[in-house]
Amino acid sequence: MHSMIVLLAQNVPEGRVFGLDMQTIVSIGIQLFNGIILAVALSYILYKPVKEFMRKRTEKIQGKINDADSTMAKANELITEYDQKIKDINKERIEILEAARLEAADESKIILAEARKEAQAVKERSLESVSKERKRLQEESRLYIIELASLMAKEYISENIDDSAQEKIFEETLARLEDTQWQS
Amino acid sequence: MGLEVDNLWVFEIAGFEIWITETIFNTWLIMLILIAIAIIARIKLQRFKEVPSGFQNVIEAIVETFDNFVSHTLGEKLSYIAPWFFMVFMFLLSSALISVFGVRAPTADWPTTFALAFVSLILMFFMGFKHRKGDYLRNFFEPHFVFFPMNLIGELSKPISLSFRLFGNMLSGTIILTLYYALTPFFVQIGIPALLHAFFDVVFGLLQTYIFVILSLMYIKGAAD
Repeated sequence: MHSMIVLLAQNVPEGRVFGLDMQTIVSIGIQLFNGIILAVALSYILYKPVKEFMRKRTEKIQGKINDADSTMAKANELITEYDQKIKDINKERIEILEAARLEAADESKIILAEARKEAQAVKERSLESVSKERKRLQEESRLYIIELASLMAKEYISENIDDSAQEKIFEETLARLEDTQWQS
Repeated sequence: MGLEVDNLWVFEIAGFEIWITETIFNTWLIMLILIAIAIIARIKLQRFKEVPSGFQNVIEAIVETFDNFVSHTLGEKLSYIAPWFFMVFMFLLSSALISVFGVRAPTADWPTTFALAFVSLILMFFMGFKHRKGDYLRNFFEPHFVFFPMNLIGELSKPISLSFRLFGNMLSGTIILTLYYALTPFFVQIGIPALLHAFFDVVFGLLQTYIFVILSLMYIKGAAD
């Protein structure tokens, strides 16, 4: 049994283009083995790791896209929420303004009424004051006239009539003046 | 570069000769290059960014394009066999492109193409039995059991035709270019061969790579569905 490997460098057969013999089957076997070795090597060194890398990257990018979609959805929800809040705020603002306007109108009416009332009071007080002043002036005038008339009458009487007649006239005049005052 | 596939070394194991051909050596060379690129990519993968650029872009584009291609062709349930066809795709493409540098493409030798097609055959049967079970077996006896030999030959001929199609195309390019170099004077061997290499190696290589992979995937999908 010759199990050793012998290199027959001196006795290499001639080459050929094609043949169907035992050497062809041996060559097929060697090429099959080479193919399997190359397939395993390329698969484990290159193909699968690169595919794994691309798969992970795709998952990562997909994750980012999903996150972005999720964030976008949240942002849209917030926009909707804020829009609703803005609408509510506008509505509330309009209501507050309307209430303020109504309140101001009521307040204005009240102030106006009070102002009118006060004006009326001032007017009444003024009229009363004018009336009092007029009475006072009338009184003063009457007293002045009385005094003047008394003086004139006194002068006249002192020159033309005696004391008794004088007294009588004085009494009568005074009585008339007092009647006139009562009537006015 | 000659027409024949040269034997580089011969080993004898237990009295049996094993020829290490130019094809096998070139396959190892391509494996070395691809594994080296894969290791570099794996090291750089640690520093890959979220927004790819440069080398990362190329690696991602290759893997993603191929993965989408397999997923769309096979569907998600069978896409776990994509790594094998990724190797087939990269290997066939590299084989075609390496011949631009005067290295004989391993695919211009039938054992290489048959080895790859044989795996497609195994996968075809395996997926057929796994996903359709008895129904797949029944297909071999339809429309009548007497058609079994023809149906079997029809199935077996798929990987054989696949392997010979690729082998024939790549060998034809090699033959034409070998003849061109052998028969033309020196002054027309500058410049013009670049166009021939671009056509027979790059264009044919890309086309045949695509055809081999898509046909293998279609056969497997046809068996599994």
